[in-house]
Amino acid sequence: MTDKILETMDEPVEENVLTEVPSGENAEAEKGGKFGNALRKAGKAVGRFFKNIPAYLRAALRTFCGWFGFGVFGGRSSKKRKKIFFDVIGYTLLTIGGITMLYPFWWMFAASLAGPTIGADGVTVTSNALQNMITTIFWPAATSNFGLFYNYQQAITLLNSAWQTVTIGGQAYAFWRSVINTLLYSLIPVTVGVFTSASAAFAFAKLDFKGKNFVFFYCLAAIMIPFPSIMIAQFCVYSSIGWTDNGLAMIVPGCFGAILTAFFIRQYLYGMPTAILEAARIDGAGYWRQFTSFVIPLAKPAIMAQFILSFMGSWNNYLAPQVFITEDMWKPLTLAIGQLDTSYGTDVTNAPSVMAASVLALLPILILFAIFQKTIIGSIMLTGSKE
Amino acid sequence: MENKNIALAQEAAYADELTQPVPQKRKINRAKLQENIWGWIFVSALVLGTTVFVYIAFILSLWISFTDYDAFIMTTFWEGLGSIHPDGFWHWYQYMFTAEGAYGVAGEMEDFWGTLGTTCFYLIGIPIGMVLSLGIAVLMTRDIKLSGTFRVIYYIPTVASTVSIAVMWTNLFGDGGFMATVFGINLLAAGTHPALQKMCVILLTVWKGLGGTVVLFVAGLNGVNASYHEAAEIDGANAWSIFWRITMPQLYPTIFYVLVTSVIGGMQIFIEPNLIFGNYPATGNMATSGTRDNIPFVGYIFGVFNNGEWAHASALGIILAIIIFLLTLIQFALDARRDKA
Repeated sequence: MTDKILETMDEPVEENVLTEVPSGENAEAEKGGKFGNALRKAGKAVGRFFKNIPAYLRAALRTFCGWFGFGVFGGRSSKKRKKIFFDVIGYTLLTIGGITMLYPFWWMFAASLAGPTIGADGVTVTSNALQNMITTIFWPAATSNFGLFYNYQQAITLLNSAWQTVTIGGQAYAFWRSVINTLLYSLIPVTVGVFTSASAAFAFAKLDFKGKNFVFFYCLAAIMIPFPSIMIAQFCVYSSIGWTDNGLAMIVPGCFGAILTAFFIRQYLYGMPTAILEAARIDGAGYWRQFTSFVIPLAKPAIMAQFILSFMGSWNNYLAPQVFITEDMWKPLTLAIGQLDTSYGTDVTNAPSVMAASVLALLPILILFAIFQKTIIGSIMLTGSKE
Repeated sequence: MENKNIALAQEAAYADELTQPVPQKRKINRAKLQENIWGWIFVSALVLGTTVFVYIAFILSLWISFTDYDAFIMTTFWEGLGSIHPDGFWHWYQYMFTAEGAYGVAGEMEDFWGTLGTTCFYLIGIPIGMVLSLGIAVLMTRDIKLSGTFRVIYYIPTVASTVSIAVMWTNLFGDGGFMATVFGINLLAAGTHPALQKMCVILLTVWKGLGGTVVLFVAGLNGVNASYHEAAEIDGANAWSIFWRITMPQLYPTIFYVLVTSVIGGMQIFIEPNLIFGNYPATGNMATSGTRDNIPFVGYIFGVFNNGEWAHASALGIILAIIIFLLTLIQFALDARRDKA
């Protein structure tokens, strides 16, 4: 099938050469040059070849291309067949691309199950887990001897031993602690932050107050300042007020909302009829009431999408906790994986466990995306069409 | 002569103003006042957050870059702020361009330009990704079934955690691993040229960023006015010239938006090279040429920060902000020139 497509894809190109060679020849002749000469010669040769094509070959080509809907050598072109032809190409390319997008995730999961194999004497465990893992194609050469999901247990054990200070009642729980921290750092700031952003968006879109445009551009200009250039000053301040020891550095700043979130909700609110709010105003609803009982329910899709997107952003955040959080007790999951990767990433026996930990960190986000994919992509599309 | 005329005109205008009745100062009515107050209340949290956590932090960062703030010498923040560098304000800005390194291994200047060059090398992924995603978006907006499903599939890598993906990528491209056996691409083997090793990160960023751009382009392509297409088709334009003459100009705002945001993001690349190639060397003695070559600029800032040279790291951060600002400015200037032409 692929061969056929390749063959037919060549046809229109050759046809182009036939028609375009003369004009190209003139242009190149004026310019001259080595490359131009070579091109001209090649063009002439191709032209000669096509002029001297035997009639039976022409007829064959005509019917062959005609079958795909291309009118070559005086053949008739057919729109319907052309569409089928391009559909096949389109589906093939998209499917290849889709496999490229999905396959690494499968590979990741399969590789996380890899383990050492038992030696010839049946007892010795040879340390080839890393080799088994990276040579995985659809399934690892050998899965773990200690149960299929042994590496997942091992990941938790390894992290507990890496961060020994994280204990509860003498029991190490570093891994689950990092999960809890991640949830804290993503749920609290995102919930509060999206609410404050939505309120700002409401003011920007539907209220008319003095200095509105100035405030809007004042906030929007802040996205030009990159995080790496302010993180050191932030760290210095946070550490002097003790926020780096208890995770507040990751929670408090996010609660004030983000201008980009506000911007997208504002775009959505612009499309909402103002008449509803005016009616509410006439009925005596205050601004707060308008916001909580009209704007939030009506802008729910946009708010929901922004909530999920910010949640994912916080869940995947790496640089900020890397800089701000100094205590193992308060490190999130991304740092846990970074820690495992630097400690055991090249370790021949423990490498699959690092992969298992990454799968664990990835899974909640993928599940969340699977549930809310329509809202998320719809929100991104909205941004795209508005820009 | 002219001056006199102007002066006369001004005088006349002034006289006019005097003769006009002074407009009575209208009192802002209660409803208007309330709207003003509530508007400010609604935006107050965002404004406060932006001011404190971005603008004041930036000013502090600038201040710290003028000091001699070192984590291992000074204990409190106030002590650090008070210690303007004895060699003058601009010490760190001069220091980062000194050719002789503190440890005699490599000068600061080499590290500065080296890491900046690496970051710019990683930017190669942006045009590649944009062309690829434009092609995919065109394929998706053709009248085909399952385009929604394809869109979701292409978007999955974008939402996936970068840390997990980077760990996976390191193993996928591992020496003698999957990519080496199936495609014969052995990028991370010891002794591979740094430029080839960097391709590994570029492939990762392209693969991961594709979905977001595709979705934006699909939205942009759907927004292209269909009546223009029909008109061109009736006039006998072929698909190729319709694409270049009608679709592309209308898609231009989306392309510009994607370009600006991805350059800003691309200059801050950190996680992928950090997890694939490791940290910037903790001290000069531990420097190994293999890893140092692939560290991006933010990785350099982070490494200097980890070494405790906070003032130096702040100065580098300010330089990064200036570079990003200039790049954005250049893009907007080019955009303005295109609008005029």
